[in-house]
Amino acid sequence: MEKQRPIKVLVAKPGLDGHDRGAKVVALGLRDEGMEVIYSGLRQTPEKIVQAAVQEDVDVVGLSCLSGAHRYLFSEVIRQFKEKGMEDVMVIAGGIIPEKDILGLKETGVKEVFGPGASIKKIAEFIRENVKEKGFAVE
Amino acid sequence: MSDLDKIRERKKFWEDVVLKTALGRFKLEQSPNKFYSPLDIEGFDFAEKVGFPGWYPYTAGTYPLLPYAVVASKGGLPSAKGLKRAARYSGYGTPEDTRDYYKEYQKRGLRGGPNLAMDLPTQCGYDSDNPMARGEVGKVGVCIDTLNDFEIIYEVYTGELELDRIASNFTINAPANIIIAFYAALAEKRGIPLDKLRATPQNDILKEFVARGTYIFPPRSSMRMFRDSLTFLTKYMPNVNVTSIGGYHVREAGASRVQDLAFSMAIGTAYLQEGVNAGLEIDSFAPKFTFNAFGGSMELFKEVAFQRAARRMWAKILKEKFGAKDFRSMLIRQPLGAHIGPTSTTAQRPLNNVTRAVVGAIAGALSGAPPVAYPPYDEPLGLGWSLEAQQLSEDAARILQVEAKLTEVMDPLAGSYYVEYLTDEIENSAWRELDKIDGMGGVVDAIEGGYLQREIARNAHERQQKIEKGEELVVGVNCFTGENELDVVINRIVPHPYDETKREEAEEKQIKKLAEIKRSRDSRLVSQLLTELREKAQKDDENLIPHFIECAKAYVTLQEMCDVLRETFSEYEPVQF
Repeated sequence: MEKQRPIKVLVAKPGLDGHDRGAKVVALGLRDEGMEVIYSGLRQTPEKIVQAAVQEDVDVVGLSCLSGAHRYLFSEVIRQFKEKGMEDVMVIAGGIIPEKDILGLKETGVKEVFGPGASIKKIAEFIRENVKEKGFAVE
Repeated sequence: MSDLDKIRERKKFWEDVVLKTALGRFKLEQSPNKFYSPLDIEGFDFAEKVGFPGWYPYTAGTYPLLPYAVVASKGGLPSAKGLKRAARYSGYGTPEDTRDYYKEYQKRGLRGGPNLAMDLPTQCGYDSDNPMARGEVGKVGVCIDTLNDFEIIYEVYTGELELDRIASNFTINAPANIIIAFYAALAEKRGIPLDKLRATPQNDILKEFVARGTYIFPPRSSMRMFRDSLTFLTKYMPNVNVTSIGGYHVREAGASRVQDLAFSMAIGTAYLQEGVNAGLEIDSFAPKFTFNAFGGSMELFKEVAFQRAARRMWAKILKEKFGAKDFRSMLIRQPLGAHIGPTSTTAQRPLNNVTRAVVGAIAGALSGAPPVAYPPYDEPLGLGWSLEAQQLSEDAARILQVEAKLTEVMDPLAGSYYVEYLTDEIENSAWRELDKIDGMGGVVDAIEGGYLQREIARNAHERQQKIEKGEELVVGVNCFTGENELDVVINRIVPHPYDETKREEAEEKQIKKLAEIKRSRDSRLVSQLLTELREKAQKDDENLIPHFIECAKAYVTLQEMCDVLRETFSEYEPVQF
């Protein structure tokens, strides 16, 4: 029988944006939903985020940015994941993402964008429904 | 039987009979409403608790009258005769882009000085060509790398808008002393005496560690920098405010109302103490302390009570803890009062944010401040506010003042049983929290230990849980979201004041220009100045601002100065979450 483990999520703050209320609330909320969550802290470079994702062997990476630098930062993280052959890791995003940027982000590889007003329950549901089978416990 | 006893008797009858009958009739277990009476403020002493406006303890108002009741006739922000007011928070792209923005602003007849939003690399002590700055240059504000950038922005502030005739605002914290130095260097180059300059640097580093995140150095070294700013400004630039303390950011990050008040008072106290420790008389610098704004929420009456409690508390701290004698030391000086914060706005059905902002503006008008319908409704949709949203915000404030006449009476809710009860409760709870922080050794210790950060995160988490469970309702987000609800949209016809193309191109342009500046400046002088900075930074008693001014004139960059300080002070390591 395959070993069951909780879904592992890295919530990260790429770039210099210091607004971390959302990232922390999502991290704590997903923990309440039974997932294992690591919060990266502020001022993470794309390199550091990818490194942490590899080290911690996460299933999902949630990127939060409110400073308008999302297009560069998120695509850079995804590019580096591709370089490392880690397309299996699901990338979702949040923060202040203008409506018109969402399609472009999704085309780059962001699976879904959860902006202001998003429900933690819905984020958790989405993750469970879309995360790649790796042998995880579905609570 | 005393009056209160009579009331007590009636209350019992009301609860046992009148209310009970209604509960039965409407099939309710508990009343959804409260009612306050003299019983809730037993022992209320008007002179002690409220007093007259502009007089200790300032509950009813900072000033004896509302100077903002004179509404600016040409738009812009409400101001008073004889006072200088900066523009709305603004700035983006390259210094040229921001200069051109202010040029357009002036064409609309507005005379405010720059209220500079600076980009994140600037706020975090990085130049525009640093890899850490990639993607961030010119986004949340204008990029400032050298004095040259200030020179460009201020090209449109000359003649009748010369530096000695305007007020500037700088939202800058960790490298505040360097930005102050840029302003001073600019003035010196123009032959304007430093004591004629009017400005407010935000310069509130402690809240960065717990709410806003643009810190560089650890708390104690940051307090040394704060001391430098306090003593330098007090001595050489007495018309520049020392700080703009922001409970606002703390509340937006998730703090409760009581935490907002207590943490703001704790932070303000720590800053005041720096002045005292430097050997200055409290009354020589406390009058130059300001508050940016406290936090806000949709709960109008509680925010009114909050403002009253804040004024009373600060006045008591200055008088009783610091022994201030000058009344001007005891005032909460802020550019706006109660309001809602961006966290009260929604990206869903955003025009509802106009309604929300009006609630906040009413709270402001009823608690001694100009009504400010903040934020403009498109705040959660992206960077910068459209002109349409700004127009609606301006008109809302004007309507409240001239049509609803909300500022005709000072502190109109004074004496309300509910509001006086609330004011006492908020203040008492805040004192208890403040005592707790004192017990930890003060706010700097509490921040180093992570107490404020944990409390704020915990509170934010609890609020989200309430929203998830439907215990807290947000219209259009977790209620009234059915298919039949309309999403009212307006067609934008006026171009956004910030040119998106320019913002995208800013990084490349600024990097080129920075390289050019580094090529053409005297590199030997730069090297020498940085070596001297290193020596001076190591001496705790040395005020670094005069040296920053020299560096500024030699076009040393912001990051070059910060990097020397990073070597000396090290960088802040956040507490583990």
